Amino acid sequence: MARLQLKNINKRWGDFVGVKDLNLDIADEEFLVLLGPSGCGKSTTMRMIAGLEGVSEGEILLGDQVVNHLPPKDRDISMVFQSYGLYPNLSVYENIRFPLRVRRVPKDQHDEMVMRAVRMVELEDFMHRRPAELSGGQRQRVALGRAIVRKPTVFLMDEPLSNLDAKLRVSTRAQIKNLQSKLKVTTVYVTHDQIEAMTLADRVVVMNAGEIQQVGTPTEIYNTPANTFVASFIGSPAMNLIDGRIDGGTFTAEGMTIKGLKTRHSGPVTLGFRAEDADVCEADGQITGPVYSVELLGDATMITWRQGGALVSIKTNKDYRAEIDQTVTGAIPTEICHLFDAQTGARIAQD
Amino acid sequence: MTHKEFMAFIWPSLLAMALFIAVPIISVAYQSMFVEHEQIMIETETCGPFGCTPEVAVDQDAMRKVREDSPAGRFNGLDTYTNSSHLATDEITEIVATSENFGEIRDRIMNLPFYKALIFTLSYTFIVTPLVIVFGFIIAVVVNSIPSFLKGPVIFFSLLPMIVTPLVGSLVLFWMIDSRGVVGAFLQYLFADPSLSLKASPTLTWVTLFVYGVWHSAPFAFVVFYAGLQTVPSDTLESSMVDGANRWEQIRFVVMPYLLPLATFVALMQLMDNFRIFEPIIGFSASASATSLSYLIYTDLREAETPLFGSAAATSMLTIIGVIILLLPVLFRNAREFNRKA
Amino acid sequence: MALFQTSSDNPAAQKSTALAVLSVAFVLVWLFIAAFPFLWTAWGSFKAEGDFFSRADWMNAIAGPATTAQTGGAFTLDGYRGAWIEKEFWRAAMNTGIVTLCVTMISLTLGTLGGYALARSGFRYTFWILIAALVFRAMPHVTLVSGYLLPFFQLNIWGYLPTTIIVLVAINQPFTLWMLHSFFLSIPKDLDEAAMVDGCTRFQAFRLAIIPVMWPGVVTTGLFSFLLAYNDFTTTSMLLTETNATMIPKINSFLGSTQEEGKVMYAVAAVVSAIIPLFVLIMFFQRQIVSGLTAGAVKG
Repeated sequence: MARLQLKNINKRWGDFVGVKDLNLDIADEEFLVLLGPSGCGKSTTMRMIAGLEGVSEGEILLGDQVVNHLPPKDRDISMVFQSYGLYPNLSVYENIRFPLRVRRVPKDQHDEMVMRAVRMVELEDFMHRRPAELSGGQRQRVALGRAIVRKPTVFLMDEPLSNLDAKLRVSTRAQIKNLQSKLKVTTVYVTHDQIEAMTLADRVVVMNAGEIQQVGTPTEIYNTPANTFVASFIGSPAMNLIDGRIDGGTFTAEGMTIKGLKTRHSGPVTLGFRAEDADVCEADGQITGPVYSVELLGDATMITWRQGGALVSIKTNKDYRAEIDQTVTGAIPTEICHLFDAQTGARIAQD
Repeated sequence: MTHKEFMAFIWPSLLAMALFIAVPIISVAYQSMFVEHEQIMIETETCGPFGCTPEVAVDQDAMRKVREDSPAGRFNGLDTYTNSSHLATDEITEIVATSENFGEIRDRIMNLPFYKALIFTLSYTFIVTPLVIVFGFIIAVVVNSIPSFLKGPVIFFSLLPMIVTPLVGSLVLFWMIDSRGVVGAFLQYLFADPSLSLKASPTLTWVTLFVYGVWHSAPFAFVVFYAGLQTVPSDTLESSMVDGANRWEQIRFVVMPYLLPLATFVALMQLMDNFRIFEPIIGFSASASATSLSYLIYTDLREAETPLFGSAAATSMLTIIGVIILLLPVLFRNAREFNRKA
Repeated sequence: MALFQTSSDNPAAQKSTALAVLSVAFVLVWLFIAAFPFLWTAWGSFKAEGDFFSRADWMNAIAGPATTAQTGGAFTLDGYRGAWIEKEFWRAAMNTGIVTLCVTMISLTLGTLGGYALARSGFRYTFWILIAALVFRAMPHVTLVSGYLLPFFQLNIWGYLPTTIIVLVAINQPFTLWMLHSFFLSIPKDLDEAAMVDGCTRFQAFRLAIIPVMWPGVVTTGLFSFLLAYNDFTTTSMLLTETNATMIPKINSFLGSTQEEGKVMYAVAAVVSAIIPLFVLIMFFQRQIVSGLTAGAVKG
């Protein structure tokens, strides 16, 4: 019933294209994350769903109703904003009650509903405070409480964690995931943080420059990135991308050769692999050269070479040590390699 | 910044304020205890063709000498404050003792010049100030909603009534509401009463002055609120939309609380400015029906022969006390905030 | 902000046509109320009194039959000629020029120094100075004038332009101090502190680091100092003689002497003449005036 469909959505401001021909079908109870760098159109997409921005072309369907021209108050949604958007003159209790008040929910149900939400976001001790008297995390929970006080068709969350410190972010993330699975409400979540996307999402939509780059489960996105943008955006550190040529299954670039790639493609390509998939080795490696930097990450040691104009990194055993400028060899087995078209950046399938 | 540096920067400003604001206030306090010298009379004989007649006249030479000796006049203590043209204590006692009912007390007190001025000043201050805030707010909200190419010209013309000299502004309106002026003629037509004149009735004169006050000051409130509207936090506003608030509820729950500090500011400025209403009374030639405290002082000082310094000073002192009472809440609040910060 | 924007495709900003029409109508009515009196008076100032104050028909003020009958043309400059030349309004205009210019310059000089000191000193007395300034700001000017008059007569300095200028500067100081104080607060302290670390004295820091960046605030404050001096009636009417009166008291004196037919148009012409500089001022400085009005509010 609470399926959300976006059909051929376009958003333009004059000549500037904010969102281009976007199609999405979001299933009931799904947790969908829109992921991308700032300015990629993810927030615009969410604001169009909320009714805070108009749609230049296309249709938004909530359930089976076209909602393009409904003002926000007539769409059955609730939203958590990046800087929370709390009402500074109202107490926590009144903030959470606000949607019930303005949506004319019968008064005798208010207290019960508000208290249920207050308990879910654990704000029982702060009900009578004003937002100004709360910490950032508490404010965030008020915003969350206000969103869940009703049972809307869709939850929208616009970077709700980005104003929290790192530690709080992790615990609140878990809380959001837990709440969503309890409440079983379709959720659209916008973030630029790939870890949030990977941990929360049923499906991730990676966006760039107003266009969808890839839609898939976190595993699909991580394992088979559809293009160089997705490859470089997902994962930490970003996937190594090396420009070179391929001929008869052999990839060559300055200072490195990888043989036995299972593809009949030939010509200029971009080869990618993840630092955590490769390792250093004593001999017969695919990349050899003086080390540019050695970083101790705690759970691993990261070795970086300069390769052409770019840097290539490999994660290895946490006890591995090397000096800068010492010559080291890295092993890049063919199974971990991804190939992308040098021009379009699109993934080249391997057999 | 050290004390010495601070003084080096601020002394000219302090000196100017001390000499021309603080000292005059003391001077007013001093003058208010004095009244004009009694006239020294001299008997002369004027001789004409039909014989000599004794005549009493003011001895100008003697007067000049007395004035030079003590320019402020003779000491009168607080008597000026209590005389009939100021607090009129005796008259009030008498009025209260001899009047039949409250209405009569009110009417008779309204005939005392000081109370007449005080009541008009207070009515003006406390009627115009809230109206200015309400109208300013409405104009700001509406102007904010119109197409943006209209906003610039609207703000431009809106500033005119506020910027323009009060005397000039009131004259412009005065000429229009003259029974021969365009608005006056229109009103006569509207009420089908060719003898209708806004100047004739005291009530209409008061209303005219209030209308002028709102016309003159609403732009100020408008501009302040309009600027405030540009900075309403969009997150809060948008969450209220998503929460389901309609247009009015957005204003009621988000915009109004946000603009409240600005409204306080406008109210403070307006209370101060409206309390000293003066020029419009001259511009509208309204002194027969409406006088203000400032106007009383002005007329005392404008007294043709000898300015009534003592009387003007006493009214001034009472006005100053009024201003301070008006400002007390603000002063207390500021002091509390400052102490909290310190 | 998004509220009530009229970009028609935004569902959040949608409003019914009725509401949109109503808003525009309301704005037009307000515009009419705000601007019409001035336009009407400006138009009427080129007419004869019989037209501007027409007993017969207000349309006469537009068509101008009496003007045509008296002067042969639909418009006449008689009012202006009478005011400016016969009644020597030019002298008053000149005096106003001198007074406003001097008041603005001196106010700004004193106010800039004082406002800077208040913004940078953290001592308790700054608070009391500001509070005193607020109380002074609230004083009706005529009460102050009643304090000046007698001493000025005694000292024999009454009736001169410089006296009036200094008095207006002083009356202006509280406002100027408040405004520039809040403006200097918005200039980061780091700026002058960096200059002092680099070896400047406090005054050098003010001169080299602050003066170059303070002009926007000073211009805005200056506009209001100008307005105060230009619009003043109370002080100038009491402290100046007939011969060196500024424009506003001069206009008032016209009212007393213009009972006869025709002379009231002198006052109308003078009033219009006095409005024109203000009109030009808003045209050029609308943005500064708006920001100045709100500057005080932001600081509360």
